[in-house]
Amino acid sequence: MRIRAFFVAAAASGVVILTGWEMGAQHATPMIASSTTTPPAPSAPAPQGGSTAAPSTATTPSPSAPAAATTSSTDGTFTGALEQSPFGTVQVSVTITGGKLTDVKTPQLTETDGHSQRIDDYAIPILRSSVLGAQSAKVNSVSGATYTSDAYLQSLQSALDKAHFAG
Amino acid sequence: MGTMVSLSVEIADVEGADLEGADVEDPDVESAHFESAGGWDAVRTGVHDVFRALDERFSLFREDSELSRVARGELDLMHTSDEMRETYELAVRWRSATAGAFTPDRPDGVLDLNGVVKAIAIDRAGRALSDAGAKNWCINAGGDILYRGSPEPGKRWVTGITDPLEHEKLLTSIELFDGHVAVATSGYAERGLHIWHRGATRNRFIQATAMAADIVTADVLATAALATPPGELSNLLAGHPVDVLAVDGDGELTVTPRLRDYFAHVAVE
Repeated sequence: MRIRAFFVAAAASGVVILTGWEMGAQHATPMIASSTTTPPAPSAPAPQGGSTAAPSTATTPSPSAPAAATTSSTDGTFTGALEQSPFGTVQVSVTITGGKLTDVKTPQLTETDGHSQRIDDYAIPILRSSVLGAQSAKVNSVSGATYTSDAYLQSLQSALDKAHFAG
Repeated sequence: MGTMVSLSVEIADVEGADLEGADVEDPDVESAHFESAGGWDAVRTGVHDVFRALDERFSLFREDSELSRVARGELDLMHTSDEMRETYELAVRWRSATAGAFTPDRPDGVLDLNGVVKAIAIDRAGRALSDAGAKNWCINAGGDILYRGSPEPGKRWVTGITDPLEHEKLLTSIELFDGHVAVATSGYAERGLHIWHRGATRNRFIQATAMAADIVTADVLATAALATPPGELSNLLAGHPVDVLAVDGDGELTVTPRLRDYFAHVAVE
C-alpha cells in the first residue's frame, strides 16, 4: 500500500519536537471487556447529575453485563434489565458472536415527557469507558484546549505531528 | 494570538515541492526537505501570513492592533476597517444563534473577537493550501483542526481528543464522519479569557469539542457549549449541524446521539 508523505510544520513556531503521545489509560483493556460497558451508555439518558440511573446501571450488573464480560462468553443476544431513569425507561440488549460484541440495541427507550425527548435529541450522557473503546492506534491530529504552558503546547503539537507518522 | 499552528500537507500535492531524492516512506522526510522545497516554503509562508495579518488587526495583546484601539476607546467601531466590522457582525450573529452563550463582549466591556478570528484564520489558511493545489492536508491551530482529503488513500482523518483531567492523555479518538471536517475544542484552562459563564450560573463543563462542516461553526459552538450548563446543552445545539463531546468537572461525558452511535459502532467493530 502506498503511504502518503506529508510536509509537517509548525507555522507559527519553529519548534517541532518529536515525542510520542500516550493514548488513554485503559488501551490494553480487552475489547470485549470495554465493550460490555458500552451497552449502558445508550441507556443513559440518565439525569445530568448522573448520581442515580447511570451508576446503578453500571454497578448493579444487568443480565447482559456478566454474560458478555466473560471472555469465554456464550454467543447469543443478552437483554438487560429495565432501568428507570427520570427521563424514561431504558433497556439494552447486546449480541455476542464468536466471543465478540457484535451488536447493541436499545429495545426499550421511552420518554416520560417532552423534556426527555429534547434531551435525547441533542445531548445525552455516555460512559467514559465506552469512548475508550473507540481509541485508534493512529491519530492524525489532536484537538484540545490550549493550555498556558508553552511546553504543553509544544508537546501537544509535536505529538500530533508524530502521531501522524505513527502508522 | 500566541497560538501554535501545525500543518500537514501531502508533499506531492504542493506545486513545486521537491520530491527528488525524498524517501516518502521516511517519517523525517520533511526535516530533510523542509528548506529545499520552494513551493512548500511559499505555502508555509502564506499560511503564516494569514495568521500574522489577523493577529496584527485583532490581537488584544498588541497595543497597536486595531481592536486594541477600539478597546481603549480611541476608535469608534463604526469607523473601523471593513474586516473589523464584518468580523464583529459575524460574532454578533453567532451571539444571537447561541442565545448569548457565545459572545464577543467580555464582562469588563472589552470587545474580544478572538472567538471567531482564530477560526477565520484557519479557514483562510485552508483556502491558501487548496489554492496552492494541496488536496490532502490538515491544519491544527492550538487544538482547532481543519481537514481536507484523507491521510492515506481509503483512510479517514482521525482526531485525538485530549482528556481535560489528564492533559497528557487522550480521552478518545474520532474518525472524521459525516463531513465534519472541522474539529474545535474549548476548555477552561484555555489561553486567554474569551470564555465566560452565562450569568451567575456556574458551568459544569470543563471541556467541549464540536465537530462541524466548517471551522467557524465548530469553534463557536465548542465555546458556546462550554459556557452552557449541562442541562441546557440540548437547547443550545438544537438546529445546529454539529456533534459535540463535552466533559464535566467530574470527567463525565455528554455527547450528541450520533456520536453515541458512532462510539457504539466503533466498539462493535
